[in-house]
Amino acid sequence: MEIIAKPVGGNIDKMAESVFIECINLLGGLRKLVEYRNLTWLPSLAESAYVIVMKNEALKTYREIAKELGITEQTARNIATADEEKVKEYIEGRLEEKPNEHIAGGIAKLAFRKLKDVGRLGEDEIVIRHEEIEALGINWAVQVLSKVKGLDFPIEKEPLKERLGGIVLNAKKIEEILDELEYPIKSPAELLHRIKMKLNNNYKE
Amino acid sequence: MARYYELKELESRSPRLFGIPTGTKLDEMFFKIEVEDGKYIKKPLGGLPYLSVMNITGVPDTGKSLLAEQFAVTQANAGYRILFVTVENPANFLYTALKQKSEAIGANFSRVEENVVVIDASESEELRENPKALLDTMAYAIREKKVTSVIIDSITGLYEHKEMMARQIVRQFFNFLKKWRQTGIFVSQKRAAQASESAEAAGGLAVAHIVDGTIVLDKKLIESRWEVSLYGLPIGSVLRTIRIDGCRITGHDSKTWVFEITEFGTIEIIAPLSEYIKGQSEKRKA
Repeated sequence: MEIIAKPVGGNIDKMAESVFIECINLLGGLRKLVEYRNLTWLPSLAESAYVIVMKNEALKTYREIAKELGITEQTARNIATADEEKVKEYIEGRLEEKPNEHIAGGIAKLAFRKLKDVGRLGEDEIVIRHEEIEALGINWAVQVLSKVKGLDFPIEKEPLKERLGGIVLNAKKIEEILDELEYPIKSPAELLHRIKMKLNNNYKE
Repeated sequence: MARYYELKELESRSPRLFGIPTGTKLDEMFFKIEVEDGKYIKKPLGGLPYLSVMNITGVPDTGKSLLAEQFAVTQANAGYRILFVTVENPANFLYTALKQKSEAIGANFSRVEENVVVIDASESEELRENPKALLDTMAYAIREKKVTSVIIDSITGLYEHKEMMARQIVRQFFNFLKKWRQTGIFVSQKRAAQASESAEAAGGLAVAHIVDGTIVLDKKLIESRWEVSLYGLPIGSVLRTIRIDGCRITGHDSKTWVFEITEFGTIEIIAPLSEYIKGQSEKRKA
């Protein structure tokens, strides 16, 4: 039985920031925007991030969004209804002509969708320092997480072995531990949990 | 600009009329009229009207939450997703209540667990005090979990100490459930000072006039010899009654019925009060 104990979808600002940052990542990062002299896109991307989040998460009408952001209803509508696939083709250079879509809106929609798919929208993230990681004895987890970044979950054994090869945990090669796990593994959290259970079992033996 | 509709335009948007089962005899107390062989026939709806938002009200300890929980278990066991917004009872206690009810009515608790999503407003001040935050959370749950019915126990808890806002808050949640096409139950509490068999809830006329219908639960303590003689129950026992006090969506039985809360915490509706009294009298004569 799933229990939701705190508001979900309520922190619009945090979600809009996440979408905005993901927009920049989709465009190749801040450096690329500087190099290609496209920093002028940033205000439009920020505005679009808010429109997409307010429409999809806060369930606001175009009128409410326009009033809150100080834009026209038509602009809000254009952003929210931009064809993100066409925009994706355009920014990847596969379209010769610029499509008649709100480009920043399309990028924001792509970013929003990506964050939703991996469950990172509106999630609380914490920052932890190296000495804290050492004190907690979770270096191995940080190492595994950094190596599986970018992989698609659920995942099978072979792609994991390929990515994690070379790591040694408690004097045991990670490939041997991965051989003992059940697949597919649904998420990075599940991967860490299963490795931890194996390490605990091996310690008891 | 406000839009108007010609009646015919609404045909495609009007919901079908059928029942969402509660797991009690209430399912036979709502009915619809159909034409068969040129005659009008009354047919039981089989549950609460689809997409209705019903108010279950009564003074404390009349079985309102039990009825809501029984509805949740019945629906979840049938494979439908339920959103249970608990404002009074912490989620872990609700879990135990649902588990017990599942065992009592022979439901598959694993299926119930899978199909019930809980928003625990009892332990979150923001969810209780900020309707917008709660509505956003409900929207998230309905959208992500494909919920079809919603229970709020109790709606009164969302406007306690600000009863001036009662109508506004109830209206917001009512409109929300209509927008998201949910069948809904609001459990509301009545003050003891109000006539206990009436539908007026805490907050005055707030809930009853906004929702699609009201189910009133009541209890009567047997205190006099006359009551012993009338109801056939010993002094000190409790007579429990349930009545549908109006429904704007479909026809319904408006008689007062007697019910029991079984030792397993489930609602068993027995008979209309008049028949119950008659039956008790005949038992005594025999």
